[in-house]
Amino acid sequence: MLKRRIIPCLDIKNGRVVKGVHFAGLRDTGDPVEAARAYDLQGADEICLLDITATVEGRETFIDVVHRVADQIFTPLTVGGGVRREADVRRLLTAGADKVAINSAAVANPLLIRQLADKYGSQCIVVAIDVKQMKPMPGDTTPLYEVVIHGGTRSTGLDALAWCDHVAKLGAGEILLTSMDKDGTRDGYDLWITREVSHRVPIPVIASGGVGQLEHLREGLAVDQGGADAALAASIFHFGLYTISQAKQYLHEHGIPVRQQESPRGVTISSNSFG
Amino acid sequence: MPREVILVDSQLGNLDSVEHALIQVGASVHITNDPDRVATARMVVFPGQGSFGPTTQAIVDGAMGAALRMVVERGDPFLGICLGMQMLFDSSEENGGHAGLGVLPGYVRRFPADMPAGEMPGARMLKIPHVGWNDVQPTNEHFYFTHSYYVIPGQAEDVMWSCRYGRIEFPATVCRGNVFGCQFHPEKSQWSGLRFLRSFILGGRG
Repeated sequence: MLKRRIIPCLDIKNGRVVKGVHFAGLRDTGDPVEAARAYDLQGADEICLLDITATVEGRETFIDVVHRVADQIFTPLTVGGGVRREADVRRLLTAGADKVAINSAAVANPLLIRQLADKYGSQCIVVAIDVKQMKPMPGDTTPLYEVVIHGGTRSTGLDALAWCDHVAKLGAGEILLTSMDKDGTRDGYDLWITREVSHRVPIPVIASGGVGQLEHLREGLAVDQGGADAALAASIFHFGLYTISQAKQYLHEHGIPVRQQESPRGVTISSNSFG
Repeated sequence: MPREVILVDSQLGNLDSVEHALIQVGASVHITNDPDRVATARMVVFPGQGSFGPTTQAIVDGAMGAALRMVVERGDPFLGICLGMQMLFDSSEENGGHAGLGVLPGYVRRFPADMPAGEMPGARMLKIPHVGWNDVQPTNEHFYFTHSYYVIPGQAEDVMWSCRYGRIEFPATVCRGNVFGCQFHPEKSQWSGLRFLRSFILGGRG
């Protein structure tokens, strides 16, 4: 059967991993290539690189990072951040990305999704959707979520569920759903919106935002909780709290179907108590 | 002396990762879109992703299609990856219907939209595309898949390994003589994928 995916995500700024990566047993480093390689060896099901640079020079550096990471790993590579137009997508795919995530540009011009899917195939177009819960009002029967862009700083007036339906219809291959309320909190995914979206759209959904412990991954993937097809996380892996293999072992023991693999070159990156 | 592989560049997706993986398992790789070069190759890998459509039709009907058939008929090892495997068959219903190379009997169709997620209680429908790591039988190894269409083989004996998504069982790899195809992406399937490519390079059966 198809397994749920565990996707470590690296935020890249000016060619370096932001927040730093502190694997036990490895040099303390912010080098994205070294980090991606370590995740690949641990059996990550996919690796995500997110460009959070604002400058043109930084963007060039990011392309170079994509290229060097793609050269080191044998697992799918998803990249995103600052993708505005078709030329950006082409450059990233040429650099070695397997999938490109678009976010604000899709909100500004939804037909871009269809254009990209027609040209490159739905399988390489991921639409990243950042959502925020709106303040409840008397009489609300369910929570209401809005799509936000520019790192959650700008609201769009789009209803999150309607937008998810729309991007699926336009040919998106997957949805990367991030809760801005939960992002960085380490207290777990927003399970309500994750489940609503996962059960609603006909395409795979990647849960993102809020993972602080292994149980959060399980919640995000469990059918009756988050119901997501894949779980993305950053800091629990970066800071060496857990390895990908430990996460998989935990999920396996708790009834989530995951792919487990041996450590092929005898590389064991053990956990420590950092953070 | 490394085995020389001709990697066909037919504008159907990124070749770098396939090249990289082939080099990793000891091949020397030459990338070309020249049908004459392909026609005289000793070993051919034909990757592709995305969908059957005008581009694939042009390949099938053109000089490249003729070159690929020549390699197959001559008996030299041939591996089609993903869309490259689907193209080996008679036809696809994708984008209104297209003819394939007709090297193997069978056709390509889309996963039905309303497949109940029987083995995942609580989930409503299976997602399309089929994206992620799935196990193949009989080896029980995991490979990375990403596709919305699958092959319905005309002859069961052409299927080497099979994979299951919901109630649909489809070929993960096919093999007839010198012709191989894989629906998954070996270049994205870590050690399982590299082992598969190494076997192909060594003339084995994956």
